[in-house]
Amino acid sequence: MKIEDLNKLENEGTDSLPSEERRNFLRFGLSITGVFLGGSLLSLTSTRNAQGVTLNQFDDAPKYPYKPHYSMIILQNRCIDCERCMEACTKTNNVPSYGFRTKILEQMQTINPTRKEQVFMPVLCNHCNRPSCVRVCPTSATYKNKTNGIVMMDYKKCIGCKTCMAACPYNARYFKEENRAIDKCNFCFDTRLSRGEKLTACANACPAGVRNFGDISDPDSNVYRLLHRPDNVAWVLRPETGSLPNVFYTVG
Amino acid sequence: MNKRHISFGKLLAPMVIAGALLLALNRPGLAEEKYDEETYGPQSPIIWTKPVTAVIFKHKRHTMEAGLECDSCHDGIFQMEAGSAQENDDFTMASLYAGKYCGACHDGETAFSSKSRCTSCHLGVQQYKNLTGGAQQHSGH
Repeated sequence: MKIEDLNKLENEGTDSLPSEERRNFLRFGLSITGVFLGGSLLSLTSTRNAQGVTLNQFDDAPKYPYKPHYSMIILQNRCIDCERCMEACTKTNNVPSYGFRTKILEQMQTINPTRKEQVFMPVLCNHCNRPSCVRVCPTSATYKNKTNGIVMMDYKKCIGCKTCMAACPYNARYFKEENRAIDKCNFCFDTRLSRGEKLTACANACPAGVRNFGDISDPDSNVYRLLHRPDNVAWVLRPETGSLPNVFYTVG
Repeated sequence: MNKRHISFGKLLAPMVIAGALLLALNRPGLAEEKYDEETYGPQSPIIWTKPVTAVIFKHKRHTMEAGLECDSCHDGIFQMEAGSAQENDDFTMASLYAGKYCGACHDGETAFSSKSRCTSCHLGVQQYKNLTGGAQQHSGH
């Protein structure tokens, strides 16, 4: 039957369908999903082998695949929104007044019925292991550095379509008029790291030790030790996106 | 008609009494103690912007609510001139940990430690701008 003819047919609905027909249809569907997916993901017959489509599926991937694997550990409870990091970043990377590479978010949190407490949260590019910005870029202007995992920009290739801005789960990108291109945090790679500095401008400027920067693949590094403290809880922002970010949050 | 008038008067009397009571309760000094600057220090908060933006101090919280006297801090720990401490080079967290300035009480025993609950006193740039009417924000234009 052609599609035009199908469109002309009247929908009979499911009410008039005999139950035997429905059972046959369901059985057919189940056996098909069983064949295609090994019965583990979408099977409706047993939940025993069901797996959530979350971070678990990436467990077999190496944890820190780059060398050096640059990462930032943020001790969130220490942040006081002095914004020296933002000042240093703006100065080091020529960020215009309308733009940003890093921000401090603020939120009033209710500790108990009588007490509220301000919480500051520094945010920046998470240099994800699975960066959705890189995936959507039509010109490969944004890419993941194969050595150190930094998500970088090739300004000459950028056509300013802003698709990466929409794709980024962390709102870490802005359009820089001066470059006619997207600009973003690159862990100060061009301005500091490639010139022999060990820290990003923001980490260097922080007076409270909030921003800790280093090679997380090195067990002797400061960041590795901060993240792998026993009995310490660390978290990432928006883990449900499966982007595997390299900016971690914890307290200390 | 006459009946109605009588009932209205009967209603009015308790209403007037209730209103007077409410007014009396709302008067400052009866329901809540009035803030007296002579006793408790300046009402407007002190905001330091050095060495970091910005740290807030409220006299009300410390004198009227916590019961401290003027000479608990003045002139031993802090000079009388509001906000003048930030002109000193040693007005730092390290000094506080060593028991100077706020650290004289905020040591974890007398009051919460200056090594904890950072945002109780640290306002941050955004809130400072909000409090000062965004003056800094527009200075560049």
